[in-house]
Amino acid sequence: MKDLERLRTLIKEPVELVLNQQIQMELISSSKYLAMAGWCDRNGYDNSAGFFYKQSEEERNHAMKLFHYLCDQGATAYTPEVPAVTQEFDSLRAVFETVLEQEIAVTDSINRIIGVCRREGDYATEELLKWYVKEQVEEEYIARRCLELIDQIPADQVYYLDTKLASVTYDKNPFENE
Amino acid sequence: MDSNVLASYQLVFQTDKGTVYQCDRTNRLILSFWGTNTPLSARDFSQFRRMVQTVNIHQMALSTEAADEVEIFTLPRLDRCYVLTLCEILHLRELLNGAVFTLELNSILRECGCSTLSNQD
Repeated sequence: MKDLERLRTLIKEPVELVLNQQIQMELISSSKYLAMAGWCDRNGYDNSAGFFYKQSEEERNHAMKLFHYLCDQGATAYTPEVPAVTQEFDSLRAVFETVLEQEIAVTDSINRIIGVCRREGDYATEELLKWYVKEQVEEEYIARRCLELIDQIPADQVYYLDTKLASVTYDKNPFENE
Repeated sequence: MDSNVLASYQLVFQTDKGTVYQCDRTNRLILSFWGTNTPLSARDFSQFRRMVQTVNIHQMALSTEAADEVEIFTLPRLDRCYVLTLCEILHLRELLNGAVFTLELNSILRECGCSTLSNQD
């Protein structure tokens, strides 16, 4: 008897399921960052707003990368529901604390998916996810560094803080130099 | 196998309410349920199963609303649908899940380099 499912796609159902869940998570992240950008914009943190608009777009690209991968490999990518996200924050620190929590949740999720790939023997998807592992190292670094800057820079130097936060990058990501 | 079932159909799974066959000639899975034979591609079969799996049967069981007594399932790429009660949905789920078990077993055998399942064996 032919293996029709294998002829259809190289991605097994458990992997397809978790990748669709990850697409949803990335799009929720994108929505959260957009809400943060809006909050920063209306509270005078112009540079941070720019940073979050860019982050929101990046998260959407992460989702689309998985979406296209599923479609290209014959699996089914579902357009996920994106629930309402928090629009208001107590402070800039609260915003970045939420960022770090979100990035940690995404990292944990990526690690779980790699576990599923290994269980299912899906080395192609695992290879794709290595890019996400590297990306998460960078995302977590940036969120932590921003929180450190908020701790270090006096609260009355708002403009300086806003400028510094928006300029944080991870130029020396060891994974990028492989 | 019923006399009206094509010779190229191989039995995948059967319950007393229905049968799933596979046709290697057309690469289709044939869902035989409620007196109708519905050929589905592997993708459509998977999509239809997902549709059946995601019905909230708890709500159907607990609700007293007339609208919750039945659920309508449109078959992918076909102008036909099933209108099923809670009990019939459970029968359909049993059939589809059993078929998926056999298909996964067939897949594992192929991956292991063993002979795949065959109706001739």
